[in-house]
Amino acid sequence: MNTEQGTKARWGRSRFGGSQATLISVSLLAGAVLSLGAGLLFATLNFPGNFVLATLIMAAGLLPVLSAGCWALLLDRSTLRGATKNPEISVESQWYDKAAVGVFQDILLVCGLGAAVLSFIEVQGSIGLILAAVVGLAMADFAVRYLLIKRAEG
Amino acid sequence: MKNSLPEHRKERGFSQQALADELGVSRQTIISLEKGRYDPSLPLAFKLSALFGRQIEDLFQPDAE
Repeated sequence: MNTEQGTKARWGRSRFGGSQATLISVSLLAGAVLSLGAGLLFATLNFPGNFVLATLIMAAGLLPVLSAGCWALLLDRSTLRGATKNPEISVESQWYDKAAVGVFQDILLVCGLGAAVLSFIEVQGSIGLILAAVVGLAMADFAVRYLLIKRAEG
Repeated sequence: MKNSLPEHRKERGFSQQALADELGVSRQTIISLEKGRYDPSLPLAFKLSALFGRQIEDLFQPDAE
């Protein structure tokens, strides 16, 4: 029934052509270049200690994320095995929307209450860490909400 | 919302996966539709209508209020 299935690959292929191996290689290479650049920038701006070590540690941390980001940008979804053609009309899209709405309300509540409390007490801390904590909370909240919605409506 | 999707699907000889592939959606979407836990968007309802050669109201019936 689905004649395209045979031409699909586990990790898909690039929208610019080439094989699955090409897409993975280019994604890893682009991710490595970008993460090395970000590592150099971080070490130059922030780190007074061992420059090379700071660059490499930062680059190693960013490599998986940036490579995955490059893969997502370069990927032709129609070549990805198991990817539905119309995800926007699938039930998972509705679950995603519901979970996202819930997370948005939770984040408004948490940030609003947090701002109110912090207007009374002074807390010293890194803004970067606070924002990372908010993002982490939002991601965990989303995962829990999505699973609960899936369990209730699946 | 009630629907008669399982009857129409079986009448056409589609498995849930085959119907999902035809519509370009996940199999879970078909399962949720048939259980009445997912009200389809208009584009999906029109796709089902065209595939089965029926009016949308033949496939989906609103719950009695």
